[in-house]
Amino acid sequence: MSGLDARLLDAHARHDNPALVKLYALAAETAHDTDATCFYLTHAYIFALELGHPDTATLHAQLAAYGRV
Amino acid sequence: MANDLTAVRQPIERAQGLPNEHYIDEGIFEEEKYAVLFASWAGLAVAADVPETGDAKPIEFLGIPLLLVRDRENKVRVFQNSCRHRGMILVSEPKKIEGAIRCPYHSWCYSTAGKLVSTPHVGGPGHNTHEAINKDDLGLTEVRSHIWFDTVFINVDGNADPFEVVHADLLTRWKEFDKPMYHGGTESHFDLNLTTNWKLAIENYCESYHLPWVHPGLNSYSRLEDHYNIQEQGKYSGQGTLVYQQLKGPDDTVFPDFEGLSDKWDTGAEYIAIYPNVLLGAQRDHCFSIVLQPNTLSSTTEHIHLYYAQPDTSQDMRGRNAHQWKGVFEEDIFVVEGMQKGRHSPLFDGGRFSPAMDGPTHNFHDWVAGKVQDHRAKQNA
Repeated sequence: MSGLDARLLDAHARHDNPALVKLYALAAETAHDTDATCFYLTHAYIFALELGHPDTATLHAQLAAYGRV
Repeated sequence: MANDLTAVRQPIERAQGLPNEHYIDEGIFEEEKYAVLFASWAGLAVAADVPETGDAKPIEFLGIPLLLVRDRENKVRVFQNSCRHRGMILVSEPKKIEGAIRCPYHSWCYSTAGKLVSTPHVGGPGHNTHEAINKDDLGLTEVRSHIWFDTVFINVDGNADPFEVVHADLLTRWKEFDKPMYHGGTESHFDLNLTTNWKLAIENYCESYHLPWVHPGLNSYSRLEDHYNIQEQGKYSGQGTLVYQQLKGPDDTVFPDFEGLSDKWDTGAEYIAIYPNVLLGAQRDHCFSIVLQPNTLSSTTEHIHLYYAQPDTSQDMRGRNAHQWKGVFEEDIFVVEGMQKGRHSPLFDGGRFSPAMDGPTHNFHDWVAGKVQDHRAKQNA
């Protein structure tokens, strides 16, 4: 398990949704193909959307650039 | 099981009350759910239950999971509390929606106005759209609602005439109170759980006949002869007093009055049951709303909220006022629970009304019977 996976699981266990926004966005940056990138971006965006997080619009724009929203 | 309601709808001098089964029969309770409570404007909550934008409160109403939300535009809305995808409960406890309502199952997200805003992975992993899923068609299912007297009324079946039409007379009668009212806060809200059918709480509230017997303290300054009946056939009923006395604090201070009231309210007050399940009180210096939540055939919760004309009244006096009212309402518990027990007497025939004193109660029975008859006629059409 990578360090990022462990941090994601830990954030899920703690219901730390602000951390999940950041960690899934980080996971998207390290993904190797478009579908994987958009999978992680989607998770980051959804948790941001729920929170009213300041990164929401940016994450939406990133997904829109891939034609995924 | 249809029963004969002809006797209920007779003039009060000859009428019988609603038969026992309207209080103790599960089948009739189920029928009344649709005929009476879903077909009219029923009280659900008060707007003060969601005081700030984004506040969301799940409420179960007769088995229906509902969600009370104050949206970003400050509008209070009522939705079915279930996701348009797999029907999952969306919100399970009161909370603040900071951004969107996210379904805890597959994370479909809705705005506080009910719009479906995101459907993650709906087209496959990382694909958040699909041509078969039109978000504009899949917003939360909104229940028709109307707010008056800070009370949230809902029409579940969607077929009632507009609230302003159904209750035009009452809105005119109490037009002087159509102005801002301020919830008294934590100490101005209390609940009473009653082992009774919801209708008996209405029936007891809307008549003054019982006051000298059940509320002797109240009667010491507000005598039976100082009260009058209020009854509008097919609409509402209640009682009024001519000798309302304000609560007095240190140095005889009183709560501030609602502005612009006519002289009638100097010593007058009115207590009206707005059918089917809301009890309202209007006085010069405070009002209250009581929403009856029918839990089961023989279990009802009264949600009681007190309101004032100004936002900055004395907390101590608000506490005393709530305590005083709670005492009065608690005095009624043995009555509504006793009448419920009495309905198990197999030969009780619904009871006879005092033509002089029970008009408001008969008015309610006649309204319920009419709604049930209308429902049966539609079922048989």
